Amino acid sequence: MLLLLTRPRYDPATHYLFYWSGFLVDEAKKRNVRTIDLSKEKAKKDKFHSYLLKQPVDIVILNGHGNSEEVAGQNDEVLLSVSSGAKLMKGKNIFIRACDAATTLGQEIMKMGATGFVGYTRPFWIARDVDSFNRPLEDETAGPILRCSNQVGLSLIKGKPIAQAQEDSLARYRENIDKYSASETTSSFLLPFLLWNMTSQVCYQ
Amino acid sequence: MDETKTTPRISEDITNLVIARLETIPPNIEMSMGGDGNFTARELIERVREQDDVGKKMIDMQMAYLRSLGNLPTQKFGNASTTN
Repeated sequence: MLLLLTRPRYDPATHYLFYWSGFLVDEAKKRNVRTIDLSKEKAKKDKFHSYLLKQPVDIVILNGHGNSEEVAGQNDEVLLSVSSGAKLMKGKNIFIRACDAATTLGQEIMKMGATGFVGYTRPFWIARDVDSFNRPLEDETAGPILRCSNQVGLSLIKGKPIAQAQEDSLARYRENIDKYSASETTSSFLLPFLLWNMTSQVCYQ
Repeated sequence: MDETKTTPRISEDITNLVIARLETIPPNIEMSMGGDGNFTARELIERVREQDDVGKKMIDMQMAYLRSLGNLPTQKFGNASTTN
C-alpha cells in the first residue's frame, strides 16, 4: 500500500492540520505502509502531480484550504482542482480535509474513476485554544475535532474500505458528541462544531 | 431599487440566541473557518450582527445544533423576517 499525504503549514489552521496529520504518518510507519509525506514547502503542485503520475499511489490524503472546486498546498498554491489533477485520482481512495471540496471537486474526482472519496460539503471548522498554539497536539479544544476527522485516514491506512473509514469517523464524532453533551464542562461549546463537521463529512464510492 | 431593503435578514430573535451562545465561548478560544480566517467569539459575534457570510455560517451551525436537540422548529433562514 502507498500513501500520498499533503500537509502544508503556513497559518493557524494548517499549523494544526500539519501536526495532527503527523498521527497518520506515524500510523502508516507503524504498519509499514509506504508514505510520501509532502509537508510544508514540499506541498507543491509539481511534486504532487509528479508522484501521482509516477508512483502506484493507493490512498491520497490532502490537508489544507479549499473550496468547492480546488484544494491548496503550501501558501495557497492549488494542488488539485476540477480542471487540474482530478484524472490522477483514478483508482485511488481520497480523503480531502478542506472546506467544501466534497461538492464539485469530490464529484468530479469520482467521475474520473476514483475508488472512493471522503470530504466536506461545507466549511471545516477548527476551534482551538490560543494558549496551546505551540503545543497543538495537547490542545484539548482542537483535539476532539481533529481526532474525529483523523479517523478517516487512520482507517484507510489500516486497509479498511472507504465506507468503513467514513463510518468509523462518524462513530468517533458520535462518541465525542455524547461525551461533551453529558459533561458540565465549558467545552460543551464544541458541540455545534463537532455536529457541523460530522454532518458535512460525506463519502462517495 | 435599494438592494439592502430586499435582502432577507435573519430575525433578531435568532441572531440574539446565537450571540448568547457565542458569549459562552472562553476568550482564549479561536475558531478557524478554512481560508476565511481565524475568529475570536467577540469577532464572530460582530459577524453574526453584520450577517456576512461567516456570520451566516455561524448562525447556521448554532441553529443546526439547537435543532438537533429536537426542541426547535425548522426555519429556513433565507425566508426569515426582516427586522430592520
